[in-house]
Amino acid sequence: MFGKFLYTFLAIALFTRVSAQLKPQEDSVGKLLDEVVVTATRTENKVSNIPLPIQVISAKDIQLSGSQKLIDILQMQTGLVIANNPLGTALQGYPNPFGDGIQMQGLDPAYTLILVDGEPLIGRNAGIINLGRIAIGNIKQIEIIRGPATCLYGSDALAGVINIITQEPIKNSAQFQTHYGTNNTLGLTGVGALVGKKIGLELFANRYSSNGYDFDKNIYGKTVDPFHDYSANAKLTYPIDDKTKFTLSGRFFTETQFNNYLIFPQSEAEIVKGKTIETDGSLFARLQHTINNKITYVASLYATSYSNNASVFLQKNDSLYETIRLSDFMLRPELQVNIGKNPSSLFVTGIGFNYEKVNSTRYESVSNLNSGYLFVQKQFQIKNKTNIIAGARYDKNSLYQAQLSPKLAIAYKLKPNFILKGSVGGGFKAPDFRQQFLNFSNSLIGYTLLGANELSHGLEMLQQTGQINPDINLSPYRQNRHLSPEKSVGINAGFDYTISNKAVAKVNFFRNDISNLIESYNLPFSKTNNQSIYSYMNLNKVFTEGLEASFSYNFNQNFSIFAGYQYLIAKDKEILQKIRDGKLYKKDPVTYQTSLVTKNEYKGLYNRSRNNANFRFQYNNILYKTTAYVTAKYRGSYGFSGLNGFQNGSGIYDDDRETVNGFVLLNTTISKQIAAKWEVQGGIENILNYTNKLLMPNIFGRSYFININFKLEK
Amino acid sequence: MKISLLAVAVAVTGLMSCGKEEVPAPPPTPSVSIVDSVEIPFSSNNYLFYSFKDSAVVATSDSATTKWDFGLRFVDIIVNSHSSGPGSAGVITETGIYDNFITAPETGYAYDTTATQPAIDASLSTGWYNYDDNTHAFSPKAGEFFVIRTADNHYVKMEILSVTYAGYVSPTAPPTTLIYKFRYNYQADGTRNLQ
Repeated sequence: MFGKFLYTFLAIALFTRVSAQLKPQEDSVGKLLDEVVVTATRTENKVSNIPLPIQVISAKDIQLSGSQKLIDILQMQTGLVIANNPLGTALQGYPNPFGDGIQMQGLDPAYTLILVDGEPLIGRNAGIINLGRIAIGNIKQIEIIRGPATCLYGSDALAGVINIITQEPIKNSAQFQTHYGTNNTLGLTGVGALVGKKIGLELFANRYSSNGYDFDKNIYGKTVDPFHDYSANAKLTYPIDDKTKFTLSGRFFTETQFNNYLIFPQSEAEIVKGKTIETDGSLFARLQHTINNKITYVASLYATSYSNNASVFLQKNDSLYETIRLSDFMLRPELQVNIGKNPSSLFVTGIGFNYEKVNSTRYESVSNLNSGYLFVQKQFQIKNKTNIIAGARYDKNSLYQAQLSPKLAIAYKLKPNFILKGSVGGGFKAPDFRQQFLNFSNSLIGYTLLGANELSHGLEMLQQTGQINPDINLSPYRQNRHLSPEKSVGINAGFDYTISNKAVAKVNFFRNDISNLIESYNLPFSKTNNQSIYSYMNLNKVFTEGLEASFSYNFNQNFSIFAGYQYLIAKDKEILQKIRDGKLYKKDPVTYQTSLVTKNEYKGLYNRSRNNANFRFQYNNILYKTTAYVTAKYRGSYGFSGLNGFQNGSGIYDDDRETVNGFVLLNTTISKQIAAKWEVQGGIENILNYTNKLLMPNIFGRSYFININFKLEK
Repeated sequence: MKISLLAVAVAVTGLMSCGKEEVPAPPPTPSVSIVDSVEIPFSSNNYLFYSFKDSAVVATSDSATTKWDFGLRFVDIIVNSHSSGPGSAGVITETGIYDNFITAPETGYAYDTTATQPAIDASLSTGWYNYDDNTHAFSPKAGEFFVIRTADNHYVKMEILSVTYAGYVSPTAPPTTLIYKFRYNYQADGTRNLQ
């Protein structure tokens, strides 16, 4: 039904642009910003008018940190934790095939939507979008919305949204940066803006490479393999007339990782060598047109493509050992209409269509996924005191039930400096391609994994090829067991309190209830080689709840501190029910004494820290043209299943012998202007030299870097 | 195969003389309590057979006899009857505290219907173990144990205590063997008393 619509429009400009008022105003000391964001409502809006928990990371913060990668910035923020999958990397020197993702409000990386300029990144491996794909040299700001945002963005935005907004060409400028650090890490960045009478062009290029590192010389293969990557962005803006603006933007990323590790095809070990090449590209065109002082529309067309190719060869005879390929393509036309004005009264509606195609060596065939969606949202203000947002989104998909995701959010200004905020929203996460279409037989062990939609066909094929006993009746599986989307209800409530013109405190309580979690299970019969067949089904229910709080204090324009804290509880409801029913036991690994697990012993889901805190300190000495920037992140203790071989048979985190101790990451960067256009930055990351080779192979010990920055404006 | 025999018999000698024609004494005969372990090599496609009565591994060549009670291969467990063997074995998967379970039920014993439909569930989420895909550990679910009627109609309760990998020499070789450690209480007098 959206087919006709697809070709009707040239382009979309989903987001109107953030105006250039983000620079701190120089005249008032310690003036607090009321940032303008676009992610929360899909229109420009001041943070104080939005009844949702929002965090903005400014270009200034990114610049002062001297970091090169988005993940380094995000992991230092309140309540954001790197949730890397230790599978592979830790034990055998295998390359980590998934990259690092971010856990938000206690939910896995798969439940946070990552946008660049409002458009989604695709190419999730095991649910994780490798955030290493995003270079940060041209970021204007990062907006983080916590709580479900499915009502505006559809699938995956359950825990929240991270929107990376790139710079616009505003004035002629040129910027270069050379970064050199530990492990022979080299970063070269160039950003340029050309602004003509009408047309503006922003160009960005980055090369980043590292030798990687090796934690354990006894294990063949490096812990992190050497790699180099290239990123390039180009953005063109063209105001056709006073009322019409056209934007064209392209983004490209490619990373080559050089792999070298041991495999065990038989009992003898073999060395394999090869490359993993990841590429990611996107293009969008947007047309924003103001019809009259009330109505604006934004039409856009977004196309994006991702691929990951890993090939390894046996060292002894150079023959191909294995190739794993994944490619993902998405095309999305969208139209958004805004009627009215912010914040007094604004109605926003949009319609769009997703065409997505996934191809993998592990999927039986090319898989298409088409979906259409429609969203509406009303924002209005009552007596300058109450801001309300009510909205809903309808997603219709060829493979699963249509989803309706409503949201209601209210902010009430108790006093001009004290704003109460509350919101409730529904979210969903569509079953991913792997869960639906996987058809993979492990060549070494011989088990088979079948996606829910591949089950009937896959079993049939196995039986035809004699891998399933002909006596087994497959008729119960003829009908594919379609997966349902994972569903959530998220509640956020709290306040923003501007204590003085120097101090702000923000508090947010959250609760997410997730049902229909998709898990793997195995079929009640095995293959003729006696190995199992696995598929996916909707099983669990979990919840996460807690508190996020932050406090910032600007002593003056040149001296500020920020402190953040998150308290988190995340538990499986089925486990709680089992404990209540007296059906969950544990067995002491020494005495073999069996006993019931009590409610108090259940500490919650693995890999979630109950306490997280972060701290930031910034001091600028005008006389010496020097800025010191210090960030610290505390990740509290968390559970790790089977730590040090512990097992008590309960299957849950209920014993301190599975607790990984908390740790602190401390970074500091000193920036000094050495000439009119030149700046030098020196930094030490992980000053306390925290490492955990087995569980946190992504954290290298203490490392050093130096940046030389050049900036020319006008 | 047998690696350890940690606890034995409260009253082995008493059992020997406790024949059927004798009048059973009013206090029931205690069962024999044993902890044992066996090694299951990954490379083998054969089940490893075990006899409760003898507390010993039974030769693979005796697979078609009633000498064995249960067999182990990777995580699969079979019992000696129907599709698996000529015996009259059966099994009930019980949930609870092993020590508190004192009488074997009279009926309700399941058997292996076909080779791919065994009585004991060994599947990923519902089976007798928890599998951790990070560490690849198989840990027996606590509170789950088996009440088994043996190949020759005796009663026993059996609990798997741990499953560990062996033969792992990093970085040159992956593990070659699973070691199962289990305990059981065997009633030699043929009654259902498992105290």
